[in-house]
Amino acid sequence: MNPYVPRIAVIESIVDETPDIKTFRLRITDGGFSFVPGQFVMVSVLGVGESAISISSHPDDAEKFIEISVRKVGNVTGSLFRLKPGDKVGVRGPFGNGWPVDKAVGKDLLIVGGGCGQGALRPLILDVLRHRDRYGRVEILYGARTPQDLMFKYEHDVWASVPQGCLLLTVDRVPPGVEWKHNVGVVTRLFEHVTVDPANSLVCICGPEIMMHFAVKGLLSMGFKESQIYLSMERRMKCGVGKCGHCQIGGKYVCKDGPIFTYEELKLEPDKIL
Amino acid sequence: MGKASQLFKTDLKGLDRLIKKLRSDGYVVYGPVKRGRSWFFLEIDSVKQVDLNYVRTVLPPKKLLHPPREKLFEFKLGDGFEVSEKPMPPTVALFGVHPCDLKAIERQDEFFSQTPEDPYYLARRRNALIIGLTCTRVDENCFCLSRGTGPEVSTGFDILITDVGNGYLLEPGSAKGLELLKSLGFQEVGDEYLEAKQKLIEELKKSFTKQMPPEGLAELAKSMLEHEVWKETAERCLSCGNCSLVCPTCYCFDVYDVLELNLRSGVRVRELDSCQLLEYAEVALGGNFRRNRFQRLRHWMLCKFGVAGGGLYSSCVGCGRCIVYCPANIDLTEVASRLRGGG
Ligand SMILES: Cc1cc2nc3c(=O)[nH]c(=O)nc-3n(C[C@H](O)[C@H](O)[C@H](O)COP(=O)(O)OP(=O)(O)OC[C@H]3O[C@@H](n4cnc5c(N)ncnc54)[C@H](O)[C@@H]3O)c2cc1C
Ligand code: SF4
Ligand code: SF4
Ligand code: FES
Repeated sequence: MNPYVPRIAVIESIVDETPDIKTFRLRITDGGFSFVPGQFVMVSVLGVGESAISISSHPDDAEKFIEISVRKVGNVTGSLFRLKPGDKVGVRGPFGNGWPVDKAVGKDLLIVGGGCGQGALRPLILDVLRHRDRYGRVEILYGARTPQDLMFKYEHDVWASVPQGCLLLTVDRVPPGVEWKHNVGVVTRLFEHVTVDPANSLVCICGPEIMMHFAVKGLLSMGFKESQIYLSMERRMKCGVGKCGHCQIGGKYVCKDGPIFTYEELKLEPDKIL
Repeated sequence: MGKASQLFKTDLKGLDRLIKKLRSDGYVVYGPVKRGRSWFFLEIDSVKQVDLNYVRTVLPPKKLLHPPREKLFEFKLGDGFEVSEKPMPPTVALFGVHPCDLKAIERQDEFFSQTPEDPYYLARRRNALIIGLTCTRVDENCFCLSRGTGPEVSTGFDILITDVGNGYLLEPGSAKGLELLKSLGFQEVGDEYLEAKQKLIEELKKSFTKQMPPEGLAELAKSMLEHEVWKETAERCLSCGNCSLVCPTCYCFDVYDVLELNLRSGVRVRELDSCQLLEYAEVALGGNFRRNRFQRLRHWMLCKFGVAGGGLYSSCVGCGRCIVYCPANIDLTEVASRLRGGG
C-alpha cells in the first residue's frame, strides 16, 4: 500500500465548536478504519495541502465515522472551513502511537487540556465514559482563552458526572457580559484541586507547548515522576510516516515515535519549549 | 555477501561493452563526467565520457534514486476527487559509484525500507543496477577511512570495478552482477588480483588527511548541546541549505500540491528540503522550534553525527561534499573535533 495516497472521506456533518474551531464528522468511503485514542490523521484538501489533525471521536465508532476538530489557522485549515456536508476530503492514517490506555488500566488518570489540544484528549475522555471500570479516579482539567473558546461544551455535563471524577474548567479571561461560574487563570492554577494519587496515576496532557512546560513543572513539584507524564507534541508534518524529517525533535520523530511521549523521553532533546 | 567467489578482468573496451550492454538491456546509464573543474553524474553511452579517475561529483547519485523533485500522484477535482499514481520512471544503472556513495545508498535503502515502506524510492532502487568503482585518489576533504565507509567496500554494488594497473578487476556483488559479467564473456582471474587491489587500497589509505571517527561522537554531541561551537559556527552559516542538498544521506523532503490553471486537476509533489532552512520547522501562526540559526545548524550536524531522527541512516559517510560546497567554509569535522576537546 502507498502510504502517501489519501483515502476519500465524505463530510457527514459539521459542528461549530468555537468561533475558530469546527468538528467535522467524516465517513471513510472505501472500507474499514480503526485507531487508538491519541492517534492522528493527515487530512488533505487536494490542491491546497495536508494537515495533521488528531482524531477527536472514540475508536468504537470508527467503523461508522471519525471526527476531527480543527482550528482555523492557515491555508489547509482555512479551506476545510469552507467545505460543507457532502464535500470530500483526503485522509491518510491513522498515524502515531496514542495515549497509554493499556498502561492506565487500574490507575488514576489526570487529563490536562489547553485550547485546541482538547481534541486529542476527547477520545480518551470518551473511553473513560464508555469503559469506566478500566480506570481509577479520573480528573479532567481544561483551560481555554475565554468561555467561548471551550470545545465540546455540549458534553461537559456528561464529563463532569463521571463517577469518582471531576471536570475543572478555567479561562484566561471573561469578556464583559459573559456568564462564567468556573475558574479564571491558567490551567496549572487548577492543580491545587487535584486529588489523584501521584503514586498510582498517569497524566495525559495536550495543549500549547508553553502550557505543557508549566504543567510539567507543576506536576513534578507535586510528586509525579517524569515517566508518568504523557505529552502530545506538535511539530510541522509533511508525511506522517517517518520519512520527510520535518517533525523531528532531536532524535525523535513526532509522527512515528509520538505524537505522545513521556517527559522522561523528551527532556534531553533539543529545540523545544518543554 | 563478503568476497566474491568469481573474479573477472577486462580492459577499457570491455567496460565500454558493459555500458552498451546495460543500455541495450533498457537501462539509462549514468556515470561521473567531468565538466569544467567538477564532476557530475550524467547520462552516458560510452566509457570515453567517464572520468574513471574522479574524486567526487557535485551531487551524489542520490539525485537518481531520491530525486530533487518528484510527483507522488495526480488528482482530479470535481465531484470529490480521483487520484492516480504514476508509473515509475525508466530504470537507471549507476556506473562508477565510489565506496562512500555506495554506503550512503545502502543507508537510504534501509531508511526507506522501514515500515511503512516508501514505494517510490524502493521501486526505483529495486530496478536500479549499481556498479561501484574503487577510488584511485583522495583529496584533502575525503574522510571515509575514519568513518568506516571506505575506501574498501564489500556490499552495496552489483559489480565493483577496480583499476589494478594492468586492467580492471571486476567483482560481482549480486546474482544480477555475476550474470552480467558472465554474459559479457570477460576473462576469469584468480585471487592474486584481490591481493593487488588490496595493496593499492593500503597505499591509498596513506593519503587521507581529514578524519571524523564515529566512535562516541553521537553521545558526545548530544551531551554538549550548549557548547559554544554551535553558536560560533552558526555566526558564519548562511542557512543556504547547500550542505543538505549535496549530502548523500540527507533524505528530508517537503510535500506540496500544484494545481493546473484550470483548477480542476493537479499533482502532489515532493521536493528535497533542508533543516537548515528557516521554514523547515515552521508551524502555524508563525511558530518555529528552530528559529535560531544555531539551532538549525546544530540539528543538521547532530543528524550527520547520528543523533537526529534518521540516526545511523542519515549519518555522515565522509564524502566531503558539504565541506567543499559550503559558501561559508564550515567543516563538520572541525566542529566534531572541537566537541572532542581539540582546539
Ligand atoms: C500530531 C498533530 C496533531 C494535531 N492535531 C490538531 C487538531 O486536532 N486540530 C487542529 O486544529 N490542529 C491540529 N494540529 C495542528 C495542525 O496540523 C496545524 O494547525 C495545521 O497543519 C496548519 O495548517 P494550515 O495549512 O492551515 O496553516 P499554514 O500556516 O498555512 O500552514 C503552513 C504549513 O505549515 C505546516 N504546519 C503549520 N502548523 C503546523 C503545526 N502546528 N503542526 C504541524 N504542521 C504545521 C502545514 O503542514 C503547512 O505545510 C496538529 C498537529 C500535529 C503535529
Ligand atoms: S555530512 Fe558532508 S561529508 Fe558527510 S556524507 Fe554528508 S555531505 Fe558527505
Ligand atoms: S552549506 Fe554552509 S552556509 Fe550553507 S547551510 Fe550548510 S553550513 Fe550553512
Ligand atoms: S511528518 Fe514526516 S517524518 Fe514525521
